Amino acid sequence: MTMTTDVRAAVVARGLSKTYGQGDAAVHALRGIDVSFATGAFTAIMGPSGSGKSTLMHCLAGLDTVSSGHVHIGDADITTLSDKQLTLLRRERIGFVFQAFNLLPTLTAEQNIRLPLEIAGRQADQVLMDRVVETVGLRDRLSHRPSQLSGGQQQRVAVARALISKPQVIFADEPTGNLDSRSGAEVLSFLRRSVRELGQTIVMVTHDPVAASYADRVVFLRDGLLVSEVTQPTPQSVHDMLLKLEA
Amino acid sequence: MLRTTLAGLVAHRLRLLLTSLAITLGVGFIAGTFVLTDTIEQGFRQLFTADADKVAVAVTPKDEDIPHEVLAKLTALPGVSGAQGLVRGTAPLLDKSGRAAGSTATSGISVEAGPLDRTSYVTGTAPGGPGEAVLDENTARTRQFEVGDTVTVLDLAEKRRQFTLVGLIDVGVDQHLAYTGAVGFDPATAREMTGEKGYHEIDLAASAGVSPETLKQTVAAALGQTYTVKTGEELARKLALDSNVELDYLVLVLLLFGCVAMFVAALVIYNTFNILVAQRTREMALLRCIGATRGQVFRSILLESAVVGLVSSVLGLLVGLGLGALGLAALGRFDAPVPTGASVALTPRTIVLGLVVGLLVTVVAAVLPARGATRVAPIAALRSQVEEQTFRAGLARSLIAGLLLAGGLGLTAVAIWVLDGNTGLLVAMGGGAVFFLGVIVIGPVLMSPLSAFAGWVPRKVFGVPGRLAVDNSRRNPKRAATTTVALTIGVTLMTLISVITASTRETVVSSLDDQFPVDFMITAQYGRADGMPLLPAEVPATLRTLPEVGLVAEMRQDDTGEIASLPDRAVFRPEVLSGSLAALTPGTVALSEPQAENLGAKVGDTVSLTTAKAGKVKVKVAALLGQDGLNGTMPYTIAAPDFEKYFGAVGPVRVYVKVKDGTAADVSRRAVEAALTAYPTAQLVSAADVRGEFDEAFDMMFTIFAALLGLAILISLLGIANTLSLSVHERTRESALLRALGLTRPQLRGMLSIEALVLGLVGALVGVVIGVAFGWAALQTIPNETVFIVPVGQVLLYLVLSALAGVLAAVLPARRAANASIVGSLAAS
Repeated sequence: MTMTTDVRAAVVARGLSKTYGQGDAAVHALRGIDVSFATGAFTAIMGPSGSGKSTLMHCLAGLDTVSSGHVHIGDADITTLSDKQLTLLRRERIGFVFQAFNLLPTLTAEQNIRLPLEIAGRQADQVLMDRVVETVGLRDRLSHRPSQLSGGQQQRVAVARALISKPQVIFADEPTGNLDSRSGAEVLSFLRRSVRELGQTIVMVTHDPVAASYADRVVFLRDGLLVSEVTQPTPQSVHDMLLKLEA
Repeated sequence: MLRTTLAGLVAHRLRLLLTSLAITLGVGFIAGTFVLTDTIEQGFRQLFTADADKVAVAVTPKDEDIPHEVLAKLTALPGVSGAQGLVRGTAPLLDKSGRAAGSTATSGISVEAGPLDRTSYVTGTAPGGPGEAVLDENTARTRQFEVGDTVTVLDLAEKRRQFTLVGLIDVGVDQHLAYTGAVGFDPATAREMTGEKGYHEIDLAASAGVSPETLKQTVAAALGQTYTVKTGEELARKLALDSNVELDYLVLVLLLFGCVAMFVAALVIYNTFNILVAQRTREMALLRCIGATRGQVFRSILLESAVVGLVSSVLGLLVGLGLGALGLAALGRFDAPVPTGASVALTPRTIVLGLVVGLLVTVVAAVLPARGATRVAPIAALRSQVEEQTFRAGLARSLIAGLLLAGGLGLTAVAIWVLDGNTGLLVAMGGGAVFFLGVIVIGPVLMSPLSAFAGWVPRKVFGVPGRLAVDNSRRNPKRAATTTVALTIGVTLMTLISVITASTRETVVSSLDDQFPVDFMITAQYGRADGMPLLPAEVPATLRTLPEVGLVAEMRQDDTGEIASLPDRAVFRPEVLSGSLAALTPGTVALSEPQAENLGAKVGDTVSLTTAKAGKVKVKVAALLGQDGLNGTMPYTIAAPDFEKYFGAVGPVRVYVKVKDGTAADVSRRAVEAALTAYPTAQLVSAADVRGEFDEAFDMMFTIFAALLGLAILISLLGIANTLSLSVHERTRESALLRALGLTRPQLRGMLSIEALVLGLVGALVGVVIGVAFGWAALQTIPNETVFIVPVGQVLLYLVLSALAGVLAAVLPARRAANASIVGSLAAS
């Protein structure tokens, strides 16, 4: 595995470790990971259950603290920031799409999309808003509440929300985990389009080889270590790599 | 199943703590009421029993006092080893400035050391001779006398007599002595000072071997039917019974407040169990999946409530003990006649009642939520997402609410426009209660618009957290309504009391202004003679000689209080219904309206008067008079020269004084006071004095009600805290999402605080509106002309305080929400 320090990297982790518990009960979720994610690229993180892929994403996104090592988002070392600074950084530079429960049930789809901007006290870029809404194809659903939307529609609203603040990076945690394959494909192609057309950087955690095949690059984790990567993945190549890792 | 329930209880013990606290406080209040009254009762009983032990037989008069011969006769009876006559009359004590203390003359009583002496001495001893006296401790404290001081007391001829104070006594539960104050002398001096010829009571001690019952029969046989004869024990029982009547009122009032507190607690419990059930849907469903029947689920919830109810009721009893002791101390501070030094009594009745009430209220409040739990389908265990509760107002709800609201309004309208007096007030309050029930039923429907209204400002001011908070407050209208209604009850009652006290105060003050067109009023001290106490006849003349004094007017009455002389028109301004006061010349009379009705007389008719000096006289009716604020209107008012002709130069009942123009009020007052030194029992009051006394009385009443209602309000705040902490729990993942999207910790805390603020404000708004409306209704049932005042400042304060209290209730839940880890919360299901 090569260790390039890409100047154009959106997210860089160096010597990243995460340990839960102490002494005999200590669980080493991450054991020193060095990885970088290029700006304008769609990267998938894969690995068997318990490989530490979700922990890695949480640490990269500043949702969880690290035990040692550093994470840079752009020029900021997020491991040295206070909770308040971290919150502001998340607000300004990071977008999220979770597996489930992405939307506030009290807000309409449009209000949910605008939420990060409003929390930051920023005005929505109307051109971008129109384009995002157009791309996700939700124009006629904007005034609906989450309970009136299908699972796929909900996830597309979540993606639109992540895009609207033009973050440096979007972290997606199993975004298709709760969706049927057609809705999943819709969401994934939408994610890929936003990388191609809007130049968005996306880091996605998934366990589904088909989902991973939408990415430009797939990195593989096992037992808290980065073990391999595949560029220009196909479902078959990802599947083969997974089988190899589990063997 | 039992084990599952108990394990669940232990797991949720923190969550149930707030609920328990609500019941604990409610039960504590009710138990405290009984602890307080039982303690007082027990104190009385101890006191009376101690007294009864000293006295074998007590003789009391049926109307007139017992003459001295009877004492001699009783002393000579076989089986009597000692007899003591108790003298009671008036003996005005002068305060340090030389004026008679109090508006009613101090009671003069006899105190005689010996085996029959029932006096309880605080310090010192019984008077040992004609130069010594004892004083009750309250009077001694307020008038600043100590043992060893010289006190001045007026004798029957209003002559100043000096005594050395040798002791302070506790008059105990004697309401009369507690009111007038008491100065005690040896029996001979007491008779001399008060001029009483007879005795108020005669106590007898029995010779060895003679039982009180035997002695009672002997005495009764000797005295016949003229007097009441009781054994010491019977006397004690009667005294205890008399004091109980007062206690019954206290119990009733306190229990009323206790019921309010319990009702609020019931709402809090109902809400909590509802939320607990909603939260544990999956748990219930799982139990159903593995074979638990509906009945088992139902019983497990009820069992849970029973355990909570029992534990908190026991704690409530302990709180009650504390509250009882506190109440006793408070009563002592207000000089209420309660026995001091009694140990706090926790009777079996209190224990049983406290436990039953606490248990019953908790279990009954949990029945509906438990029924809800039985409706959980086993399949719910498999659904990942908790469904949002949507609320639709059903037809039944609207119908019931409409009936209750209309019924409440109807009752109140009947009370205002048809009934009057106490019945009217009671019906109006009943109407208020029914209306309130309607508000509780319709509450969930009102919740959403009201939250939008109350949240309008926070939404604008606090940005995203504000908007989210207001949305959240409208999310579960049923829960929000039950939560806020608990607060509404407290605020409604507080507002009601504020409106009524403020309006009554304003009414009194404005009628005082009406009634006091003068600066000072001089009256004689009450209690010295039967009928109206009269001032010395020369008082008005003496005052007229003062250069600092303007108008001096006097009011004279005959001793039946039916016929009055026409006072100066400057102080007597009755409504003249027909005829005219100018026509009230000698040989004529003005009739009060009711008297004219009684007699069927009108202006121009002739009526007859019974007079002291001229016998029956015929007079012509010159005018019919309505009420005069200052004096009232006597049935008959006649011209002053006629009055003197018919009744002689009797002293006035009241003298009115106006300050001379250009003289300062205090200069004038000092001059009047100096002129009155010769008449120590004359009472000088100014308009300001009277107003001050009313103000004090109103303030005290308001403070007491506020303190009693405080408990209900405190419980409702626990309810808000409870609801919020459970909402926080429900929205764990939502909060985590917001944090991930960049909401800072302070913003998240702020969001919950604003939600609580909106809830508090909505509860208070409804309360204030209902309170003002029914305050108005209550005032309309009072037959007298009453001013209606909304104490705007006070009402606004309730709104602000309720909002702040809501924020306070949110502190802990908000902290928990803000400190939760994002990753952990997102993972939580």
